Amino acid sequence: MICIFIVNSMKTNQNAFFFILAAVALVFLFLINLALGSVSIPVDTILSGLFTGEWEKSSHREIILNYRFPKSLVAVMAGIALSLSGLQMQTFFRNPLAGPYVLGISSGGGFGVAILLLAGSFLGFSGMVISSWATAIAGILGAVSVLALVSLVAWRVRDSMTLLIVGIMFGAAVSAIISVLAFFSEAEALKLYTIWSMGSLGGLGWNQVGLLGLLLAIGAFPLLLATRSFNALLLGETYAESMGINPVRLRWLVIISTGILAGSITAFCGPIAFVGIAVPHLARLVWKSADHRILFPGSALLGAGLLLLCDTIGQLPGSAQTLPINAVTSLVGAPVVIALVLKRNFSKEF
Amino acid sequence: MDQVLTGKNLSLGYEKGQDRKVILSDLNFQLYSGQLTCLLGPNGVGKSTLVKAILGRIRPFEGEIKLLDKSPVDYPREKLSKKLSVVLSEPIIPAQMTVEQLVGLGRTPYLKWSGTLSELDRKYVNEALAATKMDFLRKERLGELSDGQRQKAMIARALSQDGEVIILDEPTSHLDLVNRHEIMFLLQDIAKNQDKAILVVTHDLDIAIETAHQLWLMNCGSPLIAGLPEDLILNAQINELLPKDRFFFDPKRGKVNLRSEDSGWEIQGSEDLVFWLEKALRKRKSTFRTEERIQVLENPFRIQVGDRIYHSIAEFFEESQTSLG
Repeated sequence: MICIFIVNSMKTNQNAFFFILAAVALVFLFLINLALGSVSIPVDTILSGLFTGEWEKSSHREIILNYRFPKSLVAVMAGIALSLSGLQMQTFFRNPLAGPYVLGISSGGGFGVAILLLAGSFLGFSGMVISSWATAIAGILGAVSVLALVSLVAWRVRDSMTLLIVGIMFGAAVSAIISVLAFFSEAEALKLYTIWSMGSLGGLGWNQVGLLGLLLAIGAFPLLLATRSFNALLLGETYAESMGINPVRLRWLVIISTGILAGSITAFCGPIAFVGIAVPHLARLVWKSADHRILFPGSALLGAGLLLLCDTIGQLPGSAQTLPINAVTSLVGAPVVIALVLKRNFSKEF
Repeated sequence: MDQVLTGKNLSLGYEKGQDRKVILSDLNFQLYSGQLTCLLGPNGVGKSTLVKAILGRIRPFEGEIKLLDKSPVDYPREKLSKKLSVVLSEPIIPAQMTVEQLVGLGRTPYLKWSGTLSELDRKYVNEALAATKMDFLRKERLGELSDGQRQKAMIARALSQDGEVIILDEPTSHLDLVNRHEIMFLLQDIAKNQDKAILVVTHDLDIAIETAHQLWLMNCGSPLIAGLPEDLILNAQINELLPKDRFFFDPKRGKVNLRSEDSGWEIQGSEDLVFWLEKALRKRKSTFRTEERIQVLENPFRIQVGDRIYHSIAEFFEESQTSLG
């Protein structure tokens, strides 16, 4: 009854209703994510602990504050970052299949980390002493350089299908280089890289979480300033230009923003598949809008929620082990993308 | 009626390294506010090049274009977009967008970074929707509109951008007959009522003659001809558009016609009826020759050949196969 009442009264403002719903779901998922794991901790214990600072068991305090809370925060941030970069790539390239993965940004990030971890022994520093800061910087540099190469090509071709092929080719080439590096590298380094490539939201200290938050803010800030431009770009570059938008400036904004967002997440958490492609489509489905004033926050909310959900699923088996996040997002994300592709007029409804 | 856009001794083309490829030279034109102007010319004559130059995307090799007081290339991008808006032939349509949102996009150059419309912006959007009679569809999604409605929505968007000039590049090329007329008459209205200078690039000579206040004719190797459509017809300059050996513009009918070769027949009767019968005969590439007199009679329509009478052209053809052959 209450639900029906809310739906009816909000009919005039459905968008707001879905935002509230998504936000409530996000909080809910966040708490579930905190509560579940190898040891399940009741939500009220967590809440009282967080708000009063007094914990019944010090082990609970330890688990929540130093392990689960940062991990949940990272899940939220990664969801936001990947969804935002996916959305801006899709609008910018006017291609519903664009995303950090397809255009090789994540492989670029992987490439940066691979050079650091795998080629480290050749270059004279051991894989063991590399700080997470170095990993992050390597990831961002790799991501930005691959994206710059792809957009250099985009500059000339302007055709989204060609660009897609180019992006995939870059990804393939980069993967090949990583394979070569892996072949010649030592077992220790290889293991580090393999684990990194499976993706993990956990294991980051508060310092890294803080840095990630900072990078997220830096990467997302330009999007706020360019919402107007992204909306105009929906009609294509010629129209956007006729409405006073500078496409060259916007291109660099997209490159820098996506590079920082997707690059830093890939660097800290490893590659996380599908979130970047699938979430913007989910947001379009939910809000039935093409307006970036709605899609940016909408994608961010849904992305954060989806990654929290995936992470929760990953630790549900109940053991101390969690499934690699990359596998879970692919399992959840792939059906979404397939369902969308099978939908009629998919490319036109984009 | 002010000159909003003028071209003087323009020479346009593209540069590739050191090479200059001149596509158009010695162009002179004036675009007036309050008028609908149609630009006609065969494919490849350089209409798009001219449009690009007007949009400030290429710099003229020689001569000058002036939009109000300066050349389009000299405007800052955002300023130019407040003077000039465009409608292209095949827009990229975000299906989820509503008509109202699309028209709102026209306000982009006036908005702050977030893209939120102010009261004033909304007023312009409403006016544009009213002028294009799209009011009743304002909440409709673009994916659910017909092609004609969608193009009208694009025109409303261009209108809400509130420039002095609107340029439309083949806006009706994939629309049906009724929609083509409707859109062109709509543009005529907008030009008159809102004192806009509207330039439409089109291939549709009939509708252009019907609706335009001014025609610009372009043909390879000859200067741009501008004038009232009716003047161009009466002084036969409209034939510049056509390959002269095969086609001509029939000023009586207002249509392009095939040049007639010597026919092997003679038809008598009222002019209209003869016209259509000859048309039908020519279409058949009829090889028949007859010395007999063909007469077309009115009320009811019939064709008399000698003492034989036919009640329709089809019947005449059927019979003539055997008897006249």
